[in-house]
Amino acid sequence: MAELIALEVPATPSALSVVRMVIGGVGTRLDFSLEDLDDLFLAIDGLLQAAMEAETLERLSVRIAPDGADLRVAVGVFESDRLQEQIALTPGGRIDLCTLLGRLVDEVTIETVAGDNDGFLVVLLKRGSGSGM
Amino acid sequence: MSGRDDRRVSEPFDLTAPPGQHSDLPTDESGAPTDHGPLADPQGRGRAESDKLDQYLLRRYHLHGDRKAREQLITMYLPLVRSLARRYASRGEHFDDLVQVGAIGLIKAIDRFDLKRGVELTTYATPNIVGEIKRYFRDKGWSVRVPRGLQELNIRLNKVIDELVPKLQRSPTIKELAEAASATPEEVLEALETSQAYNSVSLQASPNGESGEEDAGLIDYLGGEEEAYDTMEDRTTLAPGFAKLDKRERYILHLRFFEGLTQSQIAERVGISQMHVSRLIRRSLEKLREEIGDLDRPRSDRAPGADER
Repeated sequence: MAELIALEVPATPSALSVVRMVIGGVGTRLDFSLEDLDDLFLAIDGLLQAAMEAETLERLSVRIAPDGADLRVAVGVFESDRLQEQIALTPGGRIDLCTLLGRLVDEVTIETVAGDNDGFLVVLLKRGSGSGM
Repeated sequence: MSGRDDRRVSEPFDLTAPPGQHSDLPTDESGAPTDHGPLADPQGRGRAESDKLDQYLLRRYHLHGDRKAREQLITMYLPLVRSLARRYASRGEHFDDLVQVGAIGLIKAIDRFDLKRGVELTTYATPNIVGEIKRYFRDKGWSVRVPRGLQELNIRLNKVIDELVPKLQRSPTIKELAEAASATPEEVLEALETSQAYNSVSLQASPNGESGEEDAGLIDYLGGEEEAYDTMEDRTTLAPGFAKLDKRERYILHLRFFEGLTQSQIAERVGISQMHVSRLIRRSLEKLREEIGDLDRPRSDRAPGADER
């Protein structure tokens, strides 16, 4: 079974700091560069900022999964259709959420969550480019 | 610069004559006024001659709007800025960053210099430069309590990153940073995380928490990157929110998000550290978010009078 680290945290800056530390730890194992990690953190910050503008967000579910030399981070659970639309836009001449995510991570997908906590996760894939460059 | 045209000051020089024809100005072999600063005077020019050149250039700028005279003054006084910045270089900030901050103080001094007061530019500029550097330190104070060891490691990491990037020709990994800084990867991550506290960027951070013009960089003033700015202006001045940013912030975001340059590549092009680029990107995005967030709202939800861009 592939390694998966799952975190449930309040949607607060101090909890996000913990999330960054965990992602950083996994990224370090994968030989992620400082810039790779910074990009990933910026992408998560941007996503959460947009999410909080679109809906009330009290708790965060974060799933961190190494995938070979890459890192997959799923963040949610979101409910806002508007957020989903923003992510699905085609990058244009402005720095909006889709442009931001498109430049900072290598792949963005939506994963539906069913059950008690209906909604969706935004899955960010960051390819490692550390010492192998 | 405001009020420059209103000033009426007697002019000891014939400002319409070419520079070489000012017999009382220090000149080079071609007859143009020399541009050596007060701390760099290889021709052995005396204090009085330096002051005359300063006065000449200040008048050219303040009375005639001569931008080249302003740039010459900036260039002449950069050794003074470097000298003053060096005094503060051991306090954990990059020397180059301090020079940039000090240069802003210099530029403000040149722009605000009052010809009528009869003081020397050195006398007026020095407290401005030092004040700008001190304000920089004060504004960048640690916003939350961070253990001293982590603060010191963070400072050490800034230096290590600057050394490793050109050596490796890429951004270093956490393990490489840890090795170079004689720390564990966990300590490095923790120290980098504390830099968030150092820079006070959080989900709740105010998008307008920074002072726009106050912390603009040297390249905003010198015009050295003007061509590069021009090439990107067509594309980005129309981008929503960009009007809120200063030139350097627009330029850096353009390079990162439209040109696809990495932070290290931007750092090399702009002449600042990669960590500084990272901080500027974060800050600029914070500023953009408020503007773009407003534009993303349905029209009926927007604040009255919000621009349609």
